[in-house]
Amino acid sequence: MDPKLLASSLHENERRIMRVLNERGAATFEELSLALDLNRDAVEKACAWAESKGMIEVERRSRRFYQLSDEGALYAEEGLPEKRLVRLVMEGFNEVEALKELFPQINIALIWVRRNGWADVKNGRVELTEEGVEASARETVDERIIKRLSLSPAGEEEMGDLMDRVSLLLRRGLIQRSERVEKVARLTELGASLIPFLEEVEVIAQLTPEHLRTRSWTKATFQRYDVRLPAPRIYPGKRHFVSQVIDYIRRFWVELGFREMKGPIVELAFWNFDALFQPQDHPARDLADTFYMKTPRSGRLPDPELVRRVKETHENGWTTGSTGWGYSWDPELARRCCLRTHTTSLSALAISKLREEDLPAKFFSVGRVFRNETIDWNHLIEFYQTDGIVVGDGVTFRHMLGYLKEYLERMGVERFRFRPGYFPYTEMSLEAEIWVEEKQSWMELFGAGMFRPEVVKPLFGREVPVLAWGPGFDRIVMRHYGINDLRRLYSNDLGQLREAKIWLR
Amino acid sequence: MPVIEVKLADFLEMLGKELKLEEIRDTLPMMGVSWEGETEDGFMIEVFPNRPDMLSVEGLARAYSSFIGLRRGLRIYEAKPSDYTVIVDRKVEAVRPYFASAVLKGIEFDDALIRSIIQMQEKLHITHGRKRRKVSIGLHNLEPIRFPVTYTTRPRDFRFRPLGEIRVMSLEEILKGTSKGLEYGWILEGKEEYPILIDSKGMVLSMPPIINSEHTRIDEATKNIFVDITSTDWRAMNEVLNIIVTTFADHGAEIYTVHNRYYDRVVETPDLSPREMELDPEYVNELLGLELGQEEIASYLESMGHGVKLGNPLVVLVPCYRTDVMHPMDLVEDVAIAYGYDRFIPEIPSISSPAGEDPLEVFCRRLRDFMVGFGLLETMTFMMTNRRNLFERMCMPPEPVAETENPKTEEYNILRNRLLPSLMEVLSGNKHNPYPQNIFEVGEVILLDEREDTGARTAKRLAAALCHSRANFSEIKALMESILSNLGLHEVELEPSSLPCFIEGRGVEARIGGRLVCWAGEIRPEVLESWGLEMPVAGLEMDVEILYELALNMGG
Repeated sequence: MDPKLLASSLHENERRIMRVLNERGAATFEELSLALDLNRDAVEKACAWAESKGMIEVERRSRRFYQLSDEGALYAEEGLPEKRLVRLVMEGFNEVEALKELFPQINIALIWVRRNGWADVKNGRVELTEEGVEASARETVDERIIKRLSLSPAGEEEMGDLMDRVSLLLRRGLIQRSERVEKVARLTELGASLIPFLEEVEVIAQLTPEHLRTRSWTKATFQRYDVRLPAPRIYPGKRHFVSQVIDYIRRFWVELGFREMKGPIVELAFWNFDALFQPQDHPARDLADTFYMKTPRSGRLPDPELVRRVKETHENGWTTGSTGWGYSWDPELARRCCLRTHTTSLSALAISKLREEDLPAKFFSVGRVFRNETIDWNHLIEFYQTDGIVVGDGVTFRHMLGYLKEYLERMGVERFRFRPGYFPYTEMSLEAEIWVEEKQSWMELFGAGMFRPEVVKPLFGREVPVLAWGPGFDRIVMRHYGINDLRRLYSNDLGQLREAKIWLR
Repeated sequence: MPVIEVKLADFLEMLGKELKLEEIRDTLPMMGVSWEGETEDGFMIEVFPNRPDMLSVEGLARAYSSFIGLRRGLRIYEAKPSDYTVIVDRKVEAVRPYFASAVLKGIEFDDALIRSIIQMQEKLHITHGRKRRKVSIGLHNLEPIRFPVTYTTRPRDFRFRPLGEIRVMSLEEILKGTSKGLEYGWILEGKEEYPILIDSKGMVLSMPPIINSEHTRIDEATKNIFVDITSTDWRAMNEVLNIIVTTFADHGAEIYTVHNRYYDRVVETPDLSPREMELDPEYVNELLGLELGQEEIASYLESMGHGVKLGNPLVVLVPCYRTDVMHPMDLVEDVAIAYGYDRFIPEIPSISSPAGEDPLEVFCRRLRDFMVGFGLLETMTFMMTNRRNLFERMCMPPEPVAETENPKTEEYNILRNRLLPSLMEVLSGNKHNPYPQNIFEVGEVILLDEREDTGARTAKRLAAALCHSRANFSEIKALMESILSNLGLHEVELEPSSLPCFIEGRGVEARIGGRLVCWAGEIRPEVLESWGLEMPVAGLEMDVEILYELALNMGG
C-alpha cells in the first residue's frame, strides 16, 4: 500500500508515539506516557491502533518488582528500630527497663542490633560495639534500599548488587515482591519506513471552521478513519410504539372509508350500558368491573323520548318485536357516571345522532377504556379499543366477517377463525380467535356482532342492520414486540422506548 | 362467565355415541361455548350467560346432539297433572315474592347425575340467580313432605334444624352461625321476617334463599323430588325451573305439575310448552347475506333444537328451556351457528360513505410529529392517578378532580386534571436510564364541568419535560416559543406564573387573546426531591384545544 496513504490513516497520538520510538528504539508505555505527556489510557489506545495497523510491535514482559510493605513504609518515615535504638543509647539512655517505656519497639530493635553486632546487653544495660558506634553515623544498605523503594517500586535489575540485603528485608517483611506485565513498544519495519512521511503535512482529524476560513485544509491531509470502529450510541426523538400502531389503525379505517366518532371518557351508565340493552342487574355492570364515579356521581339523561324508548325496550321490548328483559328499569341507575368500559358507548352515541339521509354510514373510534381490575401481567385498568360500526340496509353478517378479516390481516394476524360468542347487545355475536403456535390452541382476541334491534331501534327510530366490533389490540402489539407482560406496554421505560423497533406497517 | 367441568364418560353416555375428545374439541366451540381445556377425564368449557340450559352435562349433550345431527328438532317434555299444592302467603310479597315448583318421580341417582346436578345448581345460582338474590333453588326428598306446603314468612326466633346441622337453630342463628347464612344473609338484610317453606304438619322444608332443612335431605336412595324456586323475577324463576326439570327428565324422571296458590290466582308449574315465534325467511337471508330456502332454514333451526312449522313466515317452536330467545334475531343467530360460522364467505361491501379523522385528532398527530422533531421521546401514561402524585409531590394545592368510587387499588383513584405530573412520574421511574431524558406526551385529562351532561369533560393536553444536567428555564421557554410560533401564534402575552411547582421567578404563563395556552418553567427542587430525582427538570403544559382553535383562526 502507498506509504503516504497509510501515514494519513494515523491518529495524531500514533504519529507522536512512532516519532519517540524512532528516536529511542524502544520504550515502555510508562516511558511513552511521560515523554508525550499523555495519560496511560491514551497511550494504550494509540498503541493498540498502531499495533493493529502493523506500525509497531508490543512486547509484553513479565518483571519482578519490589516495594515496601506497610511496616517498611512506616520505617521509611520513622527510621529503622535498630538505628533508633543505637541513637537513643548514644544519647545516654541505656537501661533496658527505662528504654522499654521510652521505645515500644525495643524488642525488635534488640534482636537486630545483636544480629548486626552493634550492641550487647549486660546487666540490664545496652552496650554499643564499635560497629554500632560507627553505624550510627552513616546510612546503612538497608536504609538505602528502603529509601529508594519509598519513592517508587523498583525492578530486579536495579537491585542487582543489593540482592543479599533485599532478601533479608523480604524475610523480615519490610518489603514485598510482585510480578507485573510491562509493555514495551518498538517500531516495525513498516512503521520505520513511514517515519519520513509523518512530518510532511498537517493531518486533520476534526475539520474546523478555522480550517475552512484559512483554507489550511488545502495543504493538509485528512486522517483516515477505521470506519468499522464503534460510534457512540445516540437516541432519537420518537413516537411511542403503541402510538405508532394507533396511527396505523386510524389510517386504515380511513382508507376503508370510515369516519371518526368521539365521545367522553367519563360517561353516563345510560350510554355505556342501558343504550346497549344491558339489563341493569347484568353482572358486567357490577362494581367489580366498572369504575363508578364518586365525583361527578350522577349526570343528566339525554332526550326524554330516547330515554322512554330505552326504558320500554328493557321492560317489555317496546316496538322492537322483542320480549325485553321483563324488569322495572330504574333511571337513577342510568344516570350514574362511570368511566367508559368500552368505546362501544361511542357507537351508541353515534347511532343516536344519525338521520335517515346519513345512511349508509361507517364509523370508527380509537380510545381509552377503563376496567376496575387488580393490575398484573395480564390485566390493566386502562387500555385501548378500536370500535367500528357499519350502519345500513342490506348490510350483512358476511360483510362483518369481511371487515374483521381485513382488520386482522392488516394487523398482521396470519391464522384466525370466527366462532359464536355472546354479548347482550349483539346477535349474531362472534369471537375472533387467533392460532397460537407455541400453545397449539386458539386464543380469544376480541368480540363483535350485529347490534340487536333492541339497541338500534330506540336509538335510530327503526330497525336497521348495524355491524359492530370493538377489538383491543394490546395482544397483537405484544406479540409483535415480543412483550409477555401487559404492563410493559405502558411502563414508559425510556430504554425500551428508545430501542423499540419502528412499526413498519 | 361460568366454567363447567364435564366428565367425558358422562357426556358420551348422555349423547349415546362414541366420540373422540379431539372431535368434541374441534366442533363444540362452533356451537357457541369456549373451550377452556382438557382435564384428566374430560374437559372444561365456558358457557355463555345466555345459555344457562347448557350448565349441566345433560343440557350440553342435548344441545350438542342436535348440533351434530344425532337428535334434531324439538324435544317434547310433558308435565303430568297432579294434586300437589303450595299456598303462597301474601306475607312473602315484601320479602321474596315469587314461587314456582314441580315434582319429579322415578329418579335413579347415580354419581354422574349427582355431580351434574350439584354443578348445575351452583352455576345457576351464581349466574341466572345473581348469587341467589334473584333466583334460588331448593331440591327436597318428596317422601316426608305433607302437602299442602305453605310459602310464608316467620320471625327471627322461629326455629328448625337446617341441613347439615346437628341441632335446631333460630333463623337469626342460621344467618349468623352457618356458612350459608353468612354467605347469603345479605339478601335478607333489613327484612322483618324471613321466608320459610313449611308443610301441613309444620315441618320446615327450607329457608329460601339460604338453606334447606335436614328433614327433606336427599340421598342416593331418593326416588322422588320436590323442586322449589323462589325469586324476585317471575320470568327468570320459570326459566330456572324448566332447566332443572328437563335436566332430570333427560335422565328418565317423570315431571308432575304443582298448583301454586297465590292469593288472587293459581299458577300451575312447570309450563313446558314450547313458545311459538314467527320467522320470515327473507329476514334471515337479509341479515346473514345468504340465500337459504325455507326447508334449509327449518333444518338449521332443528339442528339447534327448535321445532319448525313450514310456511311463510315460518313458525318456530322454541323449547321451554331456551331462555335467550327474545327476538326473531336470536333465531337468525341459531341459523347462522347451525350453518357454521366457518362456512360464511367474508366480503367487504361496496358502500361509499364520507371518511375522515376528527380534525382535533389530526392536529394532535401533527403536534406529536412536531415534538419528535425536537428530539423528544413520546410517552403514554395512565389517566388514573392519586392525589399524592398529582398534587403533593408537585407541591401544588389540591384542586377538584373527578374521582372514582370503588378503585381496587387506591394508587389509582382519581383522574388527572394536568398532564405534567404524569411526565414527572415517568422521569422518576427512569433514573437507571441514560440522560438526557427529554420526553413529551399529547394526552387526555378530565376536568369537572357543570355544562356537560356527565359533569365532567375530556380535554387534550400537550406536556413536555426536559431532564438533564443543564436543563433550565430558558431551554423550556425556547421550546414553548418555538411551538407557538410554528403554529402561527406570535402575539403572546407572558406573565410570571404563580404555580408552586416551578422555582419562584422561573415559571411563565402564556396567554393569547386573554386565554391561557401554556404554563412552563423550571421545576422546583422540592418537587424533584419528592420524585427522587437528582437531575434538573424544566417542563411545560399546553391546552391543545385552545391552541387548535387559535391556530385555525390565525391560519385563516
